[in-house]
Amino acid sequence: MRLVVSWLRDFVDVKASPEEIADTLGLRGFEVASVEPLPGGDAVIDFEVTANRPDCLSVMGLAREVATAFQIPYAPTPVTNGASVPTGTSDRITVAIDDEELGPRYVGAVADITGAASPSWMASRLQAAGIRPISAIVDITNYVLIERGHPMHAFDLARLAGAEIRVRRAKKGERITTLDGVERKLDENMLVIADRDRAQAVAGVMGGAHSEVSASTRAIVFESAYFKPASVRTTSKRLGLKTEASARFERGADVNGALPAMQRAIALMESIGAGNVSNPIVDRYPAPRRPATLHLRRARLASLLGAAVPEADVVRILQGLGLGVTAAGDGWNVVAPTSRVDLLREVDLIEEVGRHYGFERIESAFPVLTQPAPPPDPRIARDGLARRVLTSAGLSEVLTFGFIEATAAALVDPGAANTVAVANPLSAKFDTLRPLLIPGLMDAVAHNRRHGRRDVGVFEIGARFAPGGETRAVAVAQTGAVSDHWKNGPREVDFFDTKGIVERIADAFGIRVRFEPVTLPFLVAGQAAAVRVDGSALGFIGRLSPSIADERGAPRQDAIFVAELDLDALSASVGVPFASVRPLPRHPFVVRDLSIVVDDTLPAEIIRGTIRTAAERIVVAGAPLVDVRIFDRYQGKGVPDGKVSVSLRFTFQAPNRTLTDAEVQQSFDQVLAVLVREHGAVQR
Amino acid sequence: MSLPNLHTIEGVLARFHEDLYAARSNQDGQAVRDRYLGRKGSVLAEWMERLAAAPPAHKRELGQLTNALKRELETRWASYLETRQATAAPAGAIDVTLPGREPPLGHRHPLTIVRSDLEAIFTRMGFTAVEGPEVEDEWHCFDALNMPAEHPARDMQDTLYLATPIAGEGPADRRTLLRTHTSSMQIRYMQTHAPPIRIIVPGRVYRRDDLDLTHSPAFGQIEGLAVGEGISLADLKGTLLAFAQQTFSPTTRVRFRPSFFPYTEPSAEIDLSCWQCHGSGCAMCKKTGWIEIGGCGMVHPAVFEAVGYDAERYTGFAWGIGIERIAILRYQVEDIRLFYENDLRFLEQFPY
Repeated sequence: MRLVVSWLRDFVDVKASPEEIADTLGLRGFEVASVEPLPGGDAVIDFEVTANRPDCLSVMGLAREVATAFQIPYAPTPVTNGASVPTGTSDRITVAIDDEELGPRYVGAVADITGAASPSWMASRLQAAGIRPISAIVDITNYVLIERGHPMHAFDLARLAGAEIRVRRAKKGERITTLDGVERKLDENMLVIADRDRAQAVAGVMGGAHSEVSASTRAIVFESAYFKPASVRTTSKRLGLKTEASARFERGADVNGALPAMQRAIALMESIGAGNVSNPIVDRYPAPRRPATLHLRRARLASLLGAAVPEADVVRILQGLGLGVTAAGDGWNVVAPTSRVDLLREVDLIEEVGRHYGFERIESAFPVLTQPAPPPDPRIARDGLARRVLTSAGLSEVLTFGFIEATAAALVDPGAANTVAVANPLSAKFDTLRPLLIPGLMDAVAHNRRHGRRDVGVFEIGARFAPGGETRAVAVAQTGAVSDHWKNGPREVDFFDTKGIVERIADAFGIRVRFEPVTLPFLVAGQAAAVRVDGSALGFIGRLSPSIADERGAPRQDAIFVAELDLDALSASVGVPFASVRPLPRHPFVVRDLSIVVDDTLPAEIIRGTIRTAAERIVVAGAPLVDVRIFDRYQGKGVPDGKVSVSLRFTFQAPNRTLTDAEVQQSFDQVLAVLVREHGAVQR
Repeated sequence: MSLPNLHTIEGVLARFHEDLYAARSNQDGQAVRDRYLGRKGSVLAEWMERLAAAPPAHKRELGQLTNALKRELETRWASYLETRQATAAPAGAIDVTLPGREPPLGHRHPLTIVRSDLEAIFTRMGFTAVEGPEVEDEWHCFDALNMPAEHPARDMQDTLYLATPIAGEGPADRRTLLRTHTSSMQIRYMQTHAPPIRIIVPGRVYRRDDLDLTHSPAFGQIEGLAVGEGISLADLKGTLLAFAQQTFSPTTRVRFRPSFFPYTEPSAEIDLSCWQCHGSGCAMCKKTGWIEIGGCGMVHPAVFEAVGYDAERYTGFAWGIGIERIAILRYQVEDIRLFYENDLRFLEQFPY
């Protein structure tokens, strides 16, 4: 809202400079976009008026605010007076409202016009306010719009068939060419101003070209009406047509401001010699709306603001804003004019008092704690643990968007069975919710590789989306070297680095995960595993397919290893949390190594499973096996084709005694015997 | 320049000192010592020979001088050995200036750092951090927050809607949009908890904004909500003042500028006094002395009514602050896109 300061002074005798006015209203809820000087010491202040204050899209509305803020009277000068044409029936026009819900009030008046031009003061004020002067009649409607915030319109009376105004819904398939020359298709939810035969204006949005006031116009019909805000809004939206009028009507014009606006327009017209009215004004207002009376309690005001505002200030502020105030019981009864569409309940009055008393005068306090804070969302600590594990593993955290492009989603979800699209995306780049974190992570890797970074280790913790709901996941991507030091040189990352990270996460959450070979469209066949816990899927790990790396902009030859785990499923599987320590063993342990040759297709997991099962059976008889690990795996010279040599290290320990060599040997032999029997193992 | 005279004690000592200084190895040093203090052919040996050949009348004086020279040479040699031991590399010495093998340690994302700092600050003030879904339904995101169906923020041009709804917690729970603020979680929390309530809701929100220098279609927000009996705007001011002073500077001040949000009444923009120029005007505060960091207000009674709270008995305050906004101010980041580009050269500048 561009407020011309000299225009403002027609309503309030404010002595402050434009800058002071801007600064003061800036702290009263009206953000200032700019202050521009005008010739003759005048200025225009551009205010950003919040959506709840359509009344301040006008000189009069802002004048009330200025008067209250500067504690001076709101005193319109006589130049702002309206005419006093009586209302009644006109013999030149009939007005009928067919749809009272969408069009509660219609004020019309016929004027004979002279064709005089707008005076320069009017044209220059309109120009300063950002409105292009057109002709005296149109300028008058715009002048009233800016001054009082009430949109008006003027029809060429000669073009209204049957000298009739009918406020009705558009007919199915009805069309109108609006003032901007565009032919628009209307629907039955839109309100129009029609004559006997056809729509002549889209109510509250824009007039029609057919009845536009032109140089040959001799008589006009002024319109000052009120339309239902929601109706204007949907019509304006559906037509893609936003105007000064629609902006005010959709936020809420003053239903009781329609007639004063008409009187003001007539007075202006007569004062500039542009025309005169000889017939009564026709005012169709079937259900007049009365201003609301609200009750404001002293105690509520003080407790909500946390400040004791002196009663004199309360009354001064509310009256300054044009509200009727009378003391009543524990506070005041306050009459809010219908122009103040934002004043609906007590709290709205408290805001008005607080705003003009000055939030800056309210002393800081602190809310009293009456009970201890409950524990935070467990997901925060969970994600924090995963983050700690991953940064400790040398990976850095990235954040990518929750939406990605459909082509990126298709790489990990080719059938799009798990993909949810955005209905109104900003662009094709962000048109799909990510089904997995991997695509975003992939782009982060590619970005760094393109910018000369050789070694990349990153992770992300975030939400991903599927038709079945939203889950939180953690994903990891690694490429390049995991370590690089002058002494040992770089070591390239491989599957087992990423697997180790997954195992570390599982370990941190106290769960045991299993890795099973899997086929996924985006992972290299034979280098991919499903990560499972207790038979249910947790995620996957593997080497990213080179064609995907290539497609997302990373070098094709890069070995990129990725993993993604469902954190919600992970935390659901957490069994018994760590509660107590095990006593430290008191008796020495014995280590024995064993190298066996087996088929190279035999998974290590199976060998370990066999050993573990065998160990469980020997606990009673021999030395208990407490640990077994694979410390070497060898193929080549000395090992037949299709075979592999696996070196195992066994640790035996008993909780209650020192083991003898014989006991250890017995257990060792038993395990070896089972390996021979089950897997045809040959000891090397 | 003349060499120091080998026939005076001072001359000998000066030469001895120079030669030792020039010695590059233990062996070199030993050779120098032998040249001056050796049994045969050394400087001292020459002096001894001269003493032996001297006339008896000079013997006594020359003997004293020779002894003095010997003492001095031996003292210097001893001190040379001492210093040499202190500076020489012992066997198996390594170049300690070579780079160490740093254990791997990744960096947290700067937005994570800011978020957890804010969580810590508000937790100290008795707020409990809770999280909510990013995909929401219209009721939680708008209706319950006093934004009825015709509210402009619900337009397709501001809010991202899903092409097909996704499932939520219950069978009837269908989520249809990406939440535009974390306030939707306030509603969820109030529906399941009775006052008093003091929560913060950190999380990701979405707006239909193009990605540019200062806008991002997805960003982090931290929202606060306190509900109880007698909670006031003054309490809100004090809470945000504590946050501002712990986040930026102990002398930061808070200013509330009246504004409008459908879910709070009164509503205000939160301005902080500029902690760089302290009000005198600088580039960071655009010469205004104040920096806007978010919005706040007293919870609108309609919101309490939507969740079934007694709006007469309870009052409350709420605020929302952008996590990127805080990070941008704190770390002087000039382009919001850097947070989502994930360039390690950027990310690795932040503390662990």
